[in-house]
Amino acid sequence: MRFLGALYMGLAALVLSLPIVVVCGAALNSGRSMFFPPREPTMRRFGEFFVSEPVWTTALWNSVLVAVGAATLAVLLAWPIAYWLWSTGTRLSKVLAGLGSLPFAVPPIVFGVGLGFFWAFAGGLGALWAGVISHAILLMALPLVTISIGLQSIDRAHLDAAATMGATERMIFRTVVLPQTLPYTISGFFFVLVLSFNEFTVIFFVSASSYATVTLQIFNSLRNGYTPTMAVAAITFLAVSVLVFSAVARWGDLPRLMGADQSRK
Amino acid sequence: MSLTDDMHAQGRSAAAAPDGSAMLRRVGLFVLSAIIFIFCVLPFGLVLAISFGRKIDGAGWVWDFTLENYQRFFVGVLWPDEVTFLYLQQLGYSFYFAIIASLVAVLTALPFTLLLTRLGRSAQALWLVFIMASLSLSEVFIVMGWDILLSNNSGLPKLFKETGLTQWLKDTGYFQTLRDWGLANPRNVKFKTSDFATILTMSYLVWPYAVILLYPALSRIDPALAEAARTMGAGRWTVTRTVTLPAIRLPLFGTTLLLFVFLLGTYVTVTVFAAPNKHTTAVAIYTNIRGANLNAPFGAAQAVMLLVAAGVCLYLGHLFNRRSEAR
Amino acid sequence: MDGLVLKGVSKSFGNTRAVEPTDLTFARGELTALLGPSGCGKTTLLRMIAGLEEPTRGTIRLGDTDITALPAHRRKFGMVFQSFALFPHYSVRENVAYSLTIGGMARARAHEKADALLETVQLGGFGDRRIGELSGGQRQRVAIARALAQEPQVFLLDEPMSALDAKLREEMQVELRLLQQRLGITTIVVTHDQREAMTMADKIVVMSNGRVEQIAQPQEVYHRPANAFVADFIGKANFFDGTYRDGAVQVGGVQLRASAQFRSGSPVRVAIRPERACIDDDPGDNRIAARVMFVRDLGPLREYHLQSDIGPIIVEYAAGETGPTLATGDETTVRLPPDALQIFPRAEAA
Repeated sequence: MRFLGALYMGLAALVLSLPIVVVCGAALNSGRSMFFPPREPTMRRFGEFFVSEPVWTTALWNSVLVAVGAATLAVLLAWPIAYWLWSTGTRLSKVLAGLGSLPFAVPPIVFGVGLGFFWAFAGGLGALWAGVISHAILLMALPLVTISIGLQSIDRAHLDAAATMGATERMIFRTVVLPQTLPYTISGFFFVLVLSFNEFTVIFFVSASSYATVTLQIFNSLRNGYTPTMAVAAITFLAVSVLVFSAVARWGDLPRLMGADQSRK
Repeated sequence: MSLTDDMHAQGRSAAAAPDGSAMLRRVGLFVLSAIIFIFCVLPFGLVLAISFGRKIDGAGWVWDFTLENYQRFFVGVLWPDEVTFLYLQQLGYSFYFAIIASLVAVLTALPFTLLLTRLGRSAQALWLVFIMASLSLSEVFIVMGWDILLSNNSGLPKLFKETGLTQWLKDTGYFQTLRDWGLANPRNVKFKTSDFATILTMSYLVWPYAVILLYPALSRIDPALAEAARTMGAGRWTVTRTVTLPAIRLPLFGTTLLLFVFLLGTYVTVTVFAAPNKHTTAVAIYTNIRGANLNAPFGAAQAVMLLVAAGVCLYLGHLFNRRSEAR
Repeated sequence: MDGLVLKGVSKSFGNTRAVEPTDLTFARGELTALLGPSGCGKTTLLRMIAGLEEPTRGTIRLGDTDITALPAHRRKFGMVFQSFALFPHYSVRENVAYSLTIGGMARARAHEKADALLETVQLGGFGDRRIGELSGGQRQRVAIARALAQEPQVFLLDEPMSALDAKLREEMQVELRLLQQRLGITTIVVTHDQREAMTMADKIVVMSNGRVEQIAQPQEVYHRPANAFVADFIGKANFFDGTYRDGAVQVGGVQLRASAQFRSGSPVRVAIRPERACIDDDPGDNRIAARVMFVRDLGPLREYHLQSDIGPIIVEYAAGETGPTLATGDETTVRLPPDALQIFPRAEAA
């Protein structure tokens, strides 16, 4: 029985990594087309992606800008909402938190279409900053959840203790609330970072073809067939994800963030 | 106890804000609410409003209040002279792919997640990193990977041919069955384009989500429940059937529903793997808004219909949940 | 400056009264225990004193100052919480110095003072430890040091021993009492453990259902409980319900002579401590036939669980005390000396 379980998990891991392995292998092709297993393995494609091909370097730079910007903005938006929800629990704060999570809950295509219209009116269609805001709004739900989990994990007695020792609300916020929720805030930041990096649908609608992120560039290239450089992009993105989530697992409590029961091991 | 807890919270906030920051706080809240409304609600309002607009040939669209786009969605432009269910059919395919793919994902992710929760904490964290990494991997990369794997001149079909599996299938007669299912051409197996490839990729797409969504519920099942059942003589399978499954029925259903709604909007996978006559509403929305047709109002109307369909499903799910919780 | 005075202090949460209007005085330098079962309102009372909860009605005065409206962070009463509430993101020293550093004291001086306090609670050299590295007892000492760092006028402890194991608890009770006496600080301890209250307190306030049942010194609470609730809650007691008539209580068919004055015919509850009941041949009042149902020998004391005509009775003998040697099933006679009986009025319905 134990063996069957391990077998099943192994099988799942295999299927899960199958397309990833294929893409990674294909990155090593020296020719212009993708083969698996790769022919005449080379690392040249990595140079193309990171350094020499402007199409890809611009796209990568755009991706980084959007992801970092969106993650920062999403955390800044999510913090006051989560804090308000936690400290008062008023009906309005609940409504606000619900609305803030709405874009993430509906099929992304609908929100993408809506934002496309929105920016056409607001004058941001095709501008990079509009892309940043769009991703921040779309993914705000993630820091909202992680920060809320962090706030809920604060023992209320800690706040009372700080108050009896002379701390005002502002001091309590700075000396107790902020430090104890920092790991959760950072986790939320990184979740947005990674998902924004990989997001395609919404950015497709709000970019209006005037700039390209890496995912958009890959989609645009789909029709012309794959090139090994695209596979390099995939590897890069995967590496970023693994790094980020490893960091979250190492310094923030990943199982808890995923909702595991804390009381048991 | 919970009452007093609430009261503590209230007492704290009442005691808070002794400085003149109350005004500042109110302004902040107002700005925050305005931001949320503008960015989270307004876009959906625009989609709805524009869905009643009218397309002008060669020049975009104008505001209007016409039900033309919806008429077109349900029965076609030329109704009542001519009726076409093309767009309803597309919505049908959206449902078809999404339902099967979400079911496949949840049913295969369930045993995996159960096994996962029984591992040690650090092993769990390791797996979660892997799952999260593949979860966040962009749809375009995933499609790319499966495309290479399933394309006719690389990946699996080639593997089938070179290992002689194709020949073996032909010899045993299964090849004809595959052809009947649309998974083979006269020379070799083929997965592009096919429902199989579409559903495979779509379930792959949401499989990590299924694990992540099931994980909290499964990790909270009290192991003492299963142990108690076992001391009363229930075998492993009986325990799963009588204790574990009933305990996770609702999260299981909820997860399937969420994944289904998510999959309704899949675009890249469908364009690459599904046969053109089986393209979905999502594809049609793209074509109308950013693609060849440039008919924003009709695209908006289709987006609204997709959202309504998703909403109805979620609402029905909510009703179902309530009813089974009441029981 | 004088003690802490509560006048008519009450607290309601919605429609539920957590604390009925209460008058209490906490004398300067004394240790008072608020004792009662869980949910009796003792913690709410303590939180109102700390300023963490606002009284619905009434005033709280410290000496000549009305502090009712003063928020917790301006009262700066040191408080030790049930969970200790030590900040995990700070070191032991930073925890102890917290009130000083946020109060604006220079870091170096605050840390110096914190180290001195840690020395006082016998944790010298632990300053750099993380909270997670400490045992339960050490955590409690840190919590005490942290609460005392601000030199509070009133020191509050909310179930301070409940997170410790039984043996450590007894040690810490003594240690805390000695420390409190040395510092001479007005102290209020909330507890549900009567042993804890009796060990540490100058004065015990027994509470139930949001009401003060008795305010007295520990010995008095035990030997002269104000009512049946206190008699039941503090220590063990046998209870019998009956009716008072002419110097005796009628319990079932048995007359119990008692030294009390009640109106004839009024319903009463009789209580007797297990160590005051006797199994002997002394002639005297209130001898009742009984059968031994169970014998429990706990080492320092031996308990006989008897069944009599007026109900079950437990009789206790300390080791070394000469007592009977009985076994389960034996028939015997139990004697309830009239002066050992405590008679309380009883509501007819109850």
